[in-house]
Amino acid sequence: MTGDWREQAEALFEEADGLAEGESKVRLLEEAVRLADAHKDVGLAYRLRDTLIDAATFGGFPDKALVAFAWCRGQQKKDPKRFDPEEMLWKQKWVVGRIKEFPHITRKQIADALDDVEQCYKASGSGDRAVLKLRYQAAREMGDAPEVVEQLWNAWLEARRDYLTDCRVCELDDELDHHVDMGEWQQVLRKAKPILDGRKSCAEIPHLTLGTVLYPLFKLGAMEQAREVHRRGYAMVTKNREFLSTVGEHLEFLTLTDNLSRGLSLLEKHLGWALDHPSYRDRFTFYTAAAFLLERLLATGERDEVSLRLPRAFPEYKVDGGYDVRALHAWTLGQARDIANRFDTRNGTDRFARLLARNQVLAGEVHPFPIDAKP
Amino acid sequence: MDHRFQVSLRGVIDLLSHHLYSSPGVYVRELLQNATDAIRARQHLEPGHTGTVRLELMEKQDGSPPTLLFTDDGVGLTEDEIHRFLATIGESSKREALEARRNDFIGQFGIGLLSCFMVCDELLVVTRSARGDGRTLEWRGRHDGTYAVRESEHPLAQPGTQVFLVARPDMAEWFNARRLRSLASHYGGLLPFPIHLTTPEGSERLDVNGAPWRREYESAAERRKALLAYGRELFDTDFIDCIPLRSTAGDVDGVAFVLPASPHFNSRQKHRVYLKHMLLSESAENLLPDWAFFVKCVVNANALRPTASRESFYEDESLAAARAALGQGLRAYLMELAREDPRALQRLIALHGLSVKALALDDDDFYRLVIHWLPFETSLGMMTLADYRRAHAVVRYTSTLDGFRQISQVAGAQGLCIINAAYTHDTALLEKLPHVVPDAEVEPFSSADLPQSFEELTLDEREATFPLLRVAEGVLAPFRCGAVVKKFFPAEVPTLYSSDADGAFRRDAERAREESDDLYAGVLDGLMAATGGEQAQLCFNLHNPVVRRLAAVADRDLMKLSVEMLYVQALLLGHHPLNAQEMVLLNQGLLGLISAQLGGDTGGGGEGTGGAGPRGLH
Repeated sequence: MTGDWREQAEALFEEADGLAEGESKVRLLEEAVRLADAHKDVGLAYRLRDTLIDAATFGGFPDKALVAFAWCRGQQKKDPKRFDPEEMLWKQKWVVGRIKEFPHITRKQIADALDDVEQCYKASGSGDRAVLKLRYQAAREMGDAPEVVEQLWNAWLEARRDYLTDCRVCELDDELDHHVDMGEWQQVLRKAKPILDGRKSCAEIPHLTLGTVLYPLFKLGAMEQAREVHRRGYAMVTKNREFLSTVGEHLEFLTLTDNLSRGLSLLEKHLGWALDHPSYRDRFTFYTAAAFLLERLLATGERDEVSLRLPRAFPEYKVDGGYDVRALHAWTLGQARDIANRFDTRNGTDRFARLLARNQVLAGEVHPFPIDAKP
Repeated sequence: MDHRFQVSLRGVIDLLSHHLYSSPGVYVRELLQNATDAIRARQHLEPGHTGTVRLELMEKQDGSPPTLLFTDDGVGLTEDEIHRFLATIGESSKREALEARRNDFIGQFGIGLLSCFMVCDELLVVTRSARGDGRTLEWRGRHDGTYAVRESEHPLAQPGTQVFLVARPDMAEWFNARRLRSLASHYGGLLPFPIHLTTPEGSERLDVNGAPWRREYESAAERRKALLAYGRELFDTDFIDCIPLRSTAGDVDGVAFVLPASPHFNSRQKHRVYLKHMLLSESAENLLPDWAFFVKCVVNANALRPTASRESFYEDESLAAARAALGQGLRAYLMELAREDPRALQRLIALHGLSVKALALDDDDFYRLVIHWLPFETSLGMMTLADYRRAHAVVRYTSTLDGFRQISQVAGAQGLCIINAAYTHDTALLEKLPHVVPDAEVEPFSSADLPQSFEELTLDEREATFPLLRVAEGVLAPFRCGAVVKKFFPAEVPTLYSSDADGAFRRDAERAREESDDLYAGVLDGLMAATGGEQAQLCFNLHNPVVRRLAAVADRDLMKLSVEMLYVQALLLGHHPLNAQEMVLLNQGLLGLISAQLGGDTGGGGEGTGGAGPRGLH
């Protein structure tokens, strides 16, 4: 039997290795990990989890990445010679960078985890810049006072690069958020240019960037380019639930440009991801955009009912696929509002309420521009 | 009449060779491109003009570098045009500017010529324009940026252009017969006019006579044979079929070859594309819809725009329309297979199921046609959806591998047919069924649903097993696990542990929490606070002899111990790793059972076989 389970775990690993990022890959690796755990092979369980952290991070399961990391972390503490923490410092960034997306994790725990990264990095003599970026992102995301966020932003960009710093392209993409916050649309596009031109890329770049620049392009009236970016960008994110919030950005863009049918097909296709997505942050972006879309549909007054193929897991699932637009709108808005409340309560700020209120501003900015090629 | 370029020619050449071109051999492509453009322009003036390109390699007796004479009978250049192409080069110090100039005949001509400086230091161009005054002009240019234009002392009898290249000593390797032959066939293999190659070894006509898929063949079988041979020659692969491709948008035509093996997911197929009959790229990727990764194709496009790197086409409306049209061609092929030759379709599905499934997800008509041919793994073995639906009114599936493993054996023994829909696209495909096939019923199924299909106990049995149930509930409560007693097959299985996907993840998180430090244990608590899900359940099987005897045991301690052991066994059989608490159960339980066996005074459980309890079961 012992030889058997090792072969089985190996086969699962091989199969996962041949798959694109996504749920199937994650599930196979989880199976392999459980086999190793069941047989108490700590070394193998550690190596498999090391791979699982990557698959879960890039496949849209930050919760599973966190669980796998926490286990590995325990082994590092018990036997640092055998399980060198230094080798996992890079992945620690991924994990800590996302814990704020779970509303049940407290501010204190987030702060402690950030301090802990700092200490771990200090022990290796590097990583100031990486830690400052995490701190800036946490403060921004949790809606801390503008001066605090600004100060961290400056500190981040002034810090020296080292081997724990994210690659230049990923940093560039992260910098765009700041300029979007400031409404510096031109600056967003200037900085994003090497990425948009395809001269620089990374695992999730330009996938993410092509979503980020949609609104700036829209605001600048660069509609032709926006359309091209939407087409190119959406095709890149349509297969991996990791990109749920980027899908939300595309959905918002389609609504802003009055491409409501196309928007509905995005809603239909990706609602299933949102229903059980571990990142409440990503759910929020998607539901907020969906609420905006349905609000517009109501405003046009053209249709009271839409025919959609929503997944069975949808609590208001209808076998015949006929959905009342008003009810659907109320449901998505309810989801967005509920998540916003949870985050704002946890954070002690009103950032998410403000993000939700932004839909009212967007409603006044709608400017029709057809995306679908004329038949 | 000596002139100097306004910018450093070195800079432009450097730009071309380091940033635009992958290899010096590209000079042959550029010269062929110039000749093709010139011949096409002349055909425009003189319909019926065939056009010919000649390459003549002249080797020196003294061993000094060879000279290549490259001749076309195209439209030629006027003096004014010569000055214009020089001007355009002068402005082109940026890559983008260079690319923009390519769209114009004269600009392309100049850029093409410059590429020759990758392999030689001096160029002589002799040309006579079909539109000019009949004079023959010559342009002599050097890599240092100097050039001269004057009337030639050796007038050409016909319009056309000759380019003389003297190989630079370090580049002589790009000037031998073998290499010229291979470069010219490589880049110009589809050209609709002959290329003659003359070397000291003799003269030959290169085998270029247009696109093989446009030729006439005696029969469809001949055509197929010839195209498959062509595919083998191009890609060194024995393809299983070929499909014609055509799109009005972008003016594209070509042929797609069906791969003989399933491609790896991330090896996007690299296609061979020609732009106006000249090879553009052997690794174009964005030509076909995403789902169509079961073919590799070769196409010519006359009206698509290449990207700056010339590796693929620019994402624009024409490309989107062309991609859709080519996708339609592949779809039509699959539709025809489904209608005319379902066995061939099934073979194709066995190889390229992912492509077929991806298309079916996006396309209702196609879905309707193929869905019933798709094979699925079920608790009763592999079967097509058609077979499944013939035997079972409701299509039931599990979306996770873990879920399927938990139930497949027991479900199978009850005669329940459950599909393992954990594979890519399967869940989405099944959920789509009722939308496309109106009378179909589809339901997700999990291990928690399984006990519902089990036989309920009779009133007597319920009464008889009541103590067992109460003990089990007490034992399992700390493990967030409920208990139930039913009757199911196979009888050898004493218990069934069932949990949903959340349950499995919760167990993973608990183990991580036990292993980790305080900080992360706390973080995991926060994470788990959000997950819901049903609690797990242990279902006892009263068909199982051990369970029947256990229910009759009077000794509560022994009963408790046995339940604990059955619980741990159920977890181990289901590959659920034990947490620390469960490990304690296992270790203490084993010892307890051994001591019970040794001591002999612990009561009921140790007695002989078949012993029914006081309220024995019938």
